[in-house]
Amino acid sequence: MVVDVANFATHTLNGLQYGFILFLIASGLTIILGILDVLNLAHGELYAVGAYVASSVFGYVTGILASPEGVAGLAVFLVVALIAAVVAAAVLIPLGIALESLFLRPLYERNEVYQLVLTFGLLLVLKDVNKFIWGVRSVRASEIYSGINAIPAAEFVGLNFPTFKIVIIVVGATVVLGLFYFFNRTKTGRIIRATAIDREMATAIGVSTDRTFTLVFAMGAFFAGFAGAMALPQSQATLEMGANPLVLSFVVIVIGGLGSLRGAFVGAMIVGLLSRWAVWQYPPAEIAAPFAIMALILLVKPNGLFGTWGETA
Amino acid sequence: MLGAVGGTALAAALAGCSTLLDGDDEGPANGDADVPDEPIQAGLQTFTEGPAAVLGLQAQYGAEIAIQRINDAGGIAGRQMELDVAHEADAAVENYTQFVDQGKDVTFGPISSGGHAALAPEVESQGVVNVGTDGTVTTLYEDTVPDPTYSFRFQNYDVMECVTAAREAVSRIGADNIDSIAGINPNYSFGQDEWKFFKLAIQQLVGDVEIVHEGFPDLLADDMSTHITEVNNGEPDVTFTSVWGGDVTTLMNQAAANDMFDNTQLVGSILYSAVDELSQDVVEQAQAFSGSRNWYWDFPSGNRWSPNADLSQEARDQYDIVPTAHFMSGYGAVTAWATATEKAVDLTGGWPSQEQIARSLEDHGFHTPAGYHVMGSDHQGKSNAYSGRLEWDDDADSAVLEDVNVFTPQEVAPPIGTDAEEWVNSW
Amino acid sequence: MSEDEATEETEATDATRRSLEDWGRASYVPATRTQDGDRYLRVTRGMVLTPLRLVGWLALFVLFVAIPDIASLSPGIQQRVLHQGVLFGLAAVGLNVLLRHTKLVSFGHAAFFGTGAYTAAVLATHFDVTSMVLLLAAATLLGTLMAGVIGFLSLRHTGLYFSLLTLAFGQLLYAIANGQSVLGGSDGLSVRPGEANRATLFGAEFGADVYSVVVYYLTVLVVVVALFVMWRIVNSPFGKALDAIGQDRTRAQFIGIPVRKYVLAAFVLSGVYGGVAGGMYGLVQQHVRPESTLYFLRSGEILFMAILGGFGTLVGPLVGGVVLVFLQDVGRDFTSYFDALTGVVLILLVFGFPRGIVGSLQSGSGLRQRASAFVDDPTVVGDWVENAVVATTAALARAKQNLWILVFGVR
Repeated sequence: MVVDVANFATHTLNGLQYGFILFLIASGLTIILGILDVLNLAHGELYAVGAYVASSVFGYVTGILASPEGVAGLAVFLVVALIAAVVAAAVLIPLGIALESLFLRPLYERNEVYQLVLTFGLLLVLKDVNKFIWGVRSVRASEIYSGINAIPAAEFVGLNFPTFKIVIIVVGATVVLGLFYFFNRTKTGRIIRATAIDREMATAIGVSTDRTFTLVFAMGAFFAGFAGAMALPQSQATLEMGANPLVLSFVVIVIGGLGSLRGAFVGAMIVGLLSRWAVWQYPPAEIAAPFAIMALILLVKPNGLFGTWGETA
Repeated sequence: MLGAVGGTALAAALAGCSTLLDGDDEGPANGDADVPDEPIQAGLQTFTEGPAAVLGLQAQYGAEIAIQRINDAGGIAGRQMELDVAHEADAAVENYTQFVDQGKDVTFGPISSGGHAALAPEVESQGVVNVGTDGTVTTLYEDTVPDPTYSFRFQNYDVMECVTAAREAVSRIGADNIDSIAGINPNYSFGQDEWKFFKLAIQQLVGDVEIVHEGFPDLLADDMSTHITEVNNGEPDVTFTSVWGGDVTTLMNQAAANDMFDNTQLVGSILYSAVDELSQDVVEQAQAFSGSRNWYWDFPSGNRWSPNADLSQEARDQYDIVPTAHFMSGYGAVTAWATATEKAVDLTGGWPSQEQIARSLEDHGFHTPAGYHVMGSDHQGKSNAYSGRLEWDDDADSAVLEDVNVFTPQEVAPPIGTDAEEWVNSW
Repeated sequence: MSEDEATEETEATDATRRSLEDWGRASYVPATRTQDGDRYLRVTRGMVLTPLRLVGWLALFVLFVAIPDIASLSPGIQQRVLHQGVLFGLAAVGLNVLLRHTKLVSFGHAAFFGTGAYTAAVLATHFDVTSMVLLLAAATLLGTLMAGVIGFLSLRHTGLYFSLLTLAFGQLLYAIANGQSVLGGSDGLSVRPGEANRATLFGAEFGADVYSVVVYYLTVLVVVVALFVMWRIVNSPFGKALDAIGQDRTRAQFIGIPVRKYVLAAFVLSGVYGGVAGGMYGLVQQHVRPESTLYFLRSGEILFMAILGGFGTLVGPLVGGVVLVFLQDVGRDFTSYFDALTGVVLILLVFGFPRGIVGSLQSGSGLRQRASAFVDDPTVVGDWVENAVVATTAALARAKQNLWILVFGVR
């Protein structure tokens, strides 16, 4: 049944794309949790800030590069759009550093409850910052979406699938590989892992935990913002957009194991695929599906699929 | 010129008749009535922020323009009107009781159907007339508050929109050509209600249809691809959607990217609410049909009805928006109350009580630029329902509805006293 | 030693305290006593207050009882809103059992609140139960049962897994309530049974205004009883055992405390409070919707109310509830950036008065120390500001340096 295979393939690709966005958000959350031992409730808002900033950057780009045509034009458009997304996410780096240095740093030694209160307070403030800068109406980047979709891709395989989603999948896969490479092969990455396993020992061998924490938080913020920038063109940026990704990221990191990057990837893929398949087969399951999956997995593996960070990235 | 045939300056102003009588008008029709001097205090609750703001702000602007016109025409029996706007935010009852405590004479809104369901019984308790702008769930006056006294609802309600959409689909495509349908509706009571009635109506009009997919994306969902993929797979003749505002743009953008419009005809009850966001190529690709509740700003088209031309221009100039049906929700709710109250002042010779205003509103007919409306004795407003082809207009630089069909309330609303579901099933 | 740990005490104060405690536990009979020049009043067994404290509590009680009158002063202060604050605060008192004693953070407390509220709604709408007492009792019972079920499933885990599991269950309930039309779907269900369209108390029907006042005083009664019960539990051997579990689970297990059972009992206890509060909420609002009762942000709010009021105290969460709700309501009238306002208050809480509102009013808190320092010498404010500025600039400088190193890789 050719039609059924194509349909299944499309739903699976939808799930993969969704999974990659989830991974981008959850990866930041899990490394912040694993290294800093902080559950960053403001993480969803960092995603939102990324989307909002991206709307402005994309708007600027589309102002300059009008509707692209021809192979060269489209290729340039794609590259510029990706650069714009990275630029938007880069705004999150100084923001993340400032937040960590000013607000989180003093709390490391204190009761964890205060970290929750503080990050929640930051969540609320960031939400209103978005409202202040971009207003109450939602913002979009539809031209980026339609521009990239003009590139024929899935058509070559006979599949009806927007090119933009393929871009997300490819970019997401690159980020995954990059992160694993970073944490497994580079010196900085391994130092970060060492700090997670044993903070005192790491200090003893001369690692500046100060800088490590800041770096990790900045990374987490960057990827959350990048996820927002990538997710924006096919939908919209609204003030409420941070709540749902936050909760879903929790589900992902619990499934994968708190602090485990590999777990975040597997968890994100599981949630992404199973959610989309569930909605396909039984539409009312849309809200409940991720939580049901999480409850089931925890029954079998109480510490998530991959336990905690450190030993294996 | 309503004045010349015995109407009042107020009614004329609200109807949008720009030619009022000149100086030899005898002033407000009830200048001798014994009414207080202080301005009338009105409260409106609506979504001033958040995803529903795209509808909520329209309602606010509509109400504000109506009140400006009232005040320019000398007020209601000489009393000016002041409007206080509150953000609805799931606190419909709290906002209402705060308005009542502040001594408001009348309240308008809210937008959400849940807000209405919570609020209507409270309105009955507190006894200050509320004219709802939207919140169009069918069962409000059938189940939730079956015999309302103070609670009214102006905008055409769900059953009317859905039957309009069903009739529109049949008239454009032909009953013989509709064998399968699908639905993509927002996952809350409004979406569920609309899908239910569309299904009922289309099955009555066309006979048995195969239901290919029933999708309920959450409000503000950022990815409707699963539903679009299913529609592409099943290729239903008609896909009905009741998504509104930002979700319309998301759905249509994503559907265009997935070539969904090659595989189905999209019929939406309220697609036009996204007019400020829809882009040209998506609109042109979609060739969708859209309802527009009880008002479309360009009907009759081509500036043949000056009240509409004037009102739309005023909306554009003052607020930089294309006014949609939600704009009329606010405008019409205020107009209903203002004209009914003026009539009551005239009849009683003084400022009427809430009960008198409520009674005056029942079976009350009034004009707005959208035409003639009736506030039924069942407290539900009934107006003509509009639906048309969603096209792009270069001059207006926005989406427009072409070839607009008008349905009378008789075609799309149940007779007074009949349950909507019963009525559709009885066709 | 960080600022939210106990302050130092001298041995002399220790001895005084112990002698007072002994006297306090000596009998149920109220009595007064003078010690070291200070007067003390024993209200009942285990409750010893200074005159100042007594006046403070009485004032608070009067304020609490007089809320309907306070609300009638201004349309900006809505009795319904304050009443809601009291109810969320009651739920937060229940949550505090877990937070303060067993040191467990639950993100799913709205599940019990919502269960209670929906029980009242379902009974009123589908079964036309009109008795307030019956509705409340049923709400409490079902809230407790739900706590038993969720607790049994969640308490196999601790720490963050526990927290996120509670969040998951809360959201599952939300999804169910939103999806089932018998529960009203997203529009919810009303709580208007019987002919009067309102619940009745022992058969008596009320008009709209009287009803809201009657329900309020019913709440006052319930809250006073609930607080008293909580106080007794906290000071009982069970409460002490919970403290031990919170400090160190393994050690508690070693000394023979049945940890799993006790923690489940604490969880169920918190569910009782949540259920009662939810049932009352149904009676007050007369309409129950999923978003306002079951959504995870409601759970978060209840948690933050407990912390805002002072999670190291008994009454703190209640106060926190009223204050937070009031803040959000009034904030909305003042500015469209009310979220930021609440956020700033929470951030100030963390840095300025971590013991919460009630906690900071107690002796030994940082806030009181600062207040007395201020009273002694107002110029100390200048020092504080200077310290704050120095700390902030240092942090920013560090941040900038880190950013430079990250971006440019310079050592």
